[in-house]
Amino acid sequence: MAVLTSYGAYVPQYRAPLGEIQKFYGRPGRPRSRGLATPGLDEDTLTMAYEAARQALKGERGLGAVITTTQAPPFELRKMSQTLGLALRLDAGAVHIDLGANATGLLDAFRIAQTLDVGPTLVVATDHLVSYRDRVADVLSAGAATAFVIDPGKKAEGIATLGPQSRAAEEVFDVWMLGREQEPRFRLEVLFDAYARATGAAAKGLEKVTERPTGKYTSICPSQPHPQVLRGLARLGAQPKQLESTQFVGDIGNVGAASVGLALCLGLDASRKGSTLLALAYGGGEAVAQEMEVTRKPKSVGAREMIDAGEEIAVGTYYRWTEGRQQQPH
Amino acid sequence: MTVSAIEFSRLGPPKLQLFAMKCDKCGELSPWWERSHCYKCGGDSLSEFELAGKGEITNYTVVYYPPREFLGQEPYVVGHIQMDEGVNLPAPVMGVDPDAVEVGTRVAATLRRMKLGHEGDIYYSYKFVVDDE
Amino acid sequence: MKVGVLGIGKTPHKIQHDKSLQDLAVEAGRKAMNDAGVSPQDIQMLYVGNVGSVGFNYENSTGLMVAHHLGVVPAGAVRVEAACGTGAWALHLGCVAIASGLYDTVMVLGCEKMNDLATVEGTSIIAQAADSKEEYFSGLTFPSGTALTARKYMQTYGVSEEDLAHTSVKNHYYGARNPSAHLRFECTVDEVMKSAKVADPLKLYEVCPMTDAASALVLCRPEILEAQANKPQVFITATSMGSGTWYQASDTLDDAYNLFARPVERAYEMAGIGPDDVDVAEIYNSFAIQEPLGIEGLGFAERGDGWKGAEDGSTWLDGTIAINPSGGLLCKGHPLGATGSTQAVDIVEQLRGTAPEGMLRKDAEIGISACRGGPGSVGAIHIYQREG
Repeated sequence: MAVLTSYGAYVPQYRAPLGEIQKFYGRPGRPRSRGLATPGLDEDTLTMAYEAARQALKGERGLGAVITTTQAPPFELRKMSQTLGLALRLDAGAVHIDLGANATGLLDAFRIAQTLDVGPTLVVATDHLVSYRDRVADVLSAGAATAFVIDPGKKAEGIATLGPQSRAAEEVFDVWMLGREQEPRFRLEVLFDAYARATGAAAKGLEKVTERPTGKYTSICPSQPHPQVLRGLARLGAQPKQLESTQFVGDIGNVGAASVGLALCLGLDASRKGSTLLALAYGGGEAVAQEMEVTRKPKSVGAREMIDAGEEIAVGTYYRWTEGRQQQPH
Repeated sequence: MTVSAIEFSRLGPPKLQLFAMKCDKCGELSPWWERSHCYKCGGDSLSEFELAGKGEITNYTVVYYPPREFLGQEPYVVGHIQMDEGVNLPAPVMGVDPDAVEVGTRVAATLRRMKLGHEGDIYYSYKFVVDDE
Repeated sequence: MKVGVLGIGKTPHKIQHDKSLQDLAVEAGRKAMNDAGVSPQDIQMLYVGNVGSVGFNYENSTGLMVAHHLGVVPAGAVRVEAACGTGAWALHLGCVAIASGLYDTVMVLGCEKMNDLATVEGTSIIAQAADSKEEYFSGLTFPSGTALTARKYMQTYGVSEEDLAHTSVKNHYYGARNPSAHLRFECTVDEVMKSAKVADPLKLYEVCPMTDAASALVLCRPEILEAQANKPQVFITATSMGSGTWYQASDTLDDAYNLFARPVERAYEMAGIGPDDVDVAEIYNSFAIQEPLGIEGLGFAERGDGWKGAEDGSTWLDGTIAINPSGGLLCKGHPLGATGSTQAVDIVEQLRGTAPEGMLRKDAEIGISACRGGPGSVGAIHIYQREG
């Protein structure tokens, strides 16, 4: 059974005050989160990946593979996994895989890591969503990175074992493009039904495989605790206390591919031996549910402290120096 | 601070892996730019020497008028870092309050975006952050 | 005047993608110091000639950079620039330093790294060594400006393109025999005539390539060299510099002649010789027409006849005087800041008898290097003498 041997997280210290941005764009209504975690001008998905991986590896270099997943690789033609491997001085002969992205990429990477025959694998989910200016208050977007080392070896020992996965998908087109208009013509809430259906189906499917009811996990770690998702989970018997320690979107925003990773880091930080975790990722119509069982109380990587720390940025300065970059992967 | 893209790949700062140069004759460590000459013994052959990335601030300044590529980041701290291996390197130090920098603070090297290069290429190199280990 | 040439060194002259400007300069400087038998700390002053590092390499202060990486710190160092005459100007300053009595041992180094940039970029950088905002606004470049001079020469003296082509044939003959040259192929008059037009009437085999190179000399007070009898006793006996036209359009054939004729008169006087005493000459020829003009300016031929020696053999290796037995800039290329110092290194090798066989002028005792720069703006003459 594949084992999680270490993990790390990185949340940039800067916060863009979402309310201010909404006001500027004339978008009233309650901001979805207090502020967006914003990478500094000298940071991007690669440097955040480096920070998270540095914490997870603590100098370890003998890895068989590196898998990165992000919606925003900095280079157009160069692999992020390869560049990250070089920066970390990992074995040059390791397998380097760039996974295409959405919020489920991390759990896909876990699955791949379990099947590779090359030794321990570093999996990094890092993101800084490139936003559309014409969407509500998403001019600046949230970024973070999370890193995990998975050892598929038979004799491997670590913090937690990786249990089974279950997947469910909805047939949806690229419906989120509907939100690009200055004033959307469709009620986007209709699309949120897909969240509930897919995540519910994935969670239910996992129950069948693990024979563990959703309500019995110590922690549920969702990439997006959207009200629809929570309703679906409640129907399966989930309790609020299962989600207590893993919430972050209201503090720092949606961090894309790193979201489910950050929820997992929070769950692991709060766990002890015997804790069970349900990772639940949703993106682009697909949901993946993953079981994990903690075998040794991990040393906290301080994910909650990173989220709570926050230095407000001057939005004007930030936007001035990144406006051009918003069109590029960041 | 426009640099030649080609020269940057030949010479220039450590891009992804921090290193110093070690004299093949006397073993003295010099900063990464000393590829030709050892100032300790006059030796003319040096080799790359990997640095662990840990050190402490021995001196610093705070920049209020940055070069183009650092615009928006000011004020920022640039320190002289004495690496544990014994070599002294200049580098920005991020995440410290410019009004409260302390000589002696332990720092660790990390990877940061230095500038956009030609044709949108990105130049990465090292900066330092406070080491909390 | 008498300045000892204690040591010489140069890098290959060609495109060298794996070498930076720093690598080239350090290589040449170290070769010269090893040849001289001195260490970096013996160098009391460093003159570094470099023209375009700001454009080609996005860096400035070449002299200071080279001083550091050669280890000559704390001796003084400075960058010298005078368009294509830069290397010769660095040499002049080195001679003046020794002749003044203020220094015992100095180094002169020319270096240029041109080939990181694409040709179009490089040409624009080179154009900055002339007046790019006024004259070149008309679409002229160095090749096309010089082409105008070539046509004027042909019209004035009734010389044909075939006549001029012999210069390239001779230069390429020797370039093929020069191991450190950029271009190393022979060619015939026919091949020169058929080579692609660059700027009419100049053709591809009549213009020089862009080259990466560095070359250096260690100069000393004559007593220091004389005291080392086992070293070849080669001295610089004249250094004479002049200026000329800045605008190509107003550069007449008289100007082209005077660019060398005026300083060489002083140079012959300094060295106590005349043109008939010279055995071997390196004459600046980034464009072929400059060789006949230079031959005439230095007094080796009557005006209008400078091109003839390439046809009748009198400027070939065993002729009356060997002109550009290295293959000239046409084959060595024109690494802007190093050209003048490479000419000096090549003449010293001739006088020492160490130039490669096939391009060695036997028993050469007196040599001359003539460098020019800009549209017609720099004339630089050095005379060398072997003793004993």
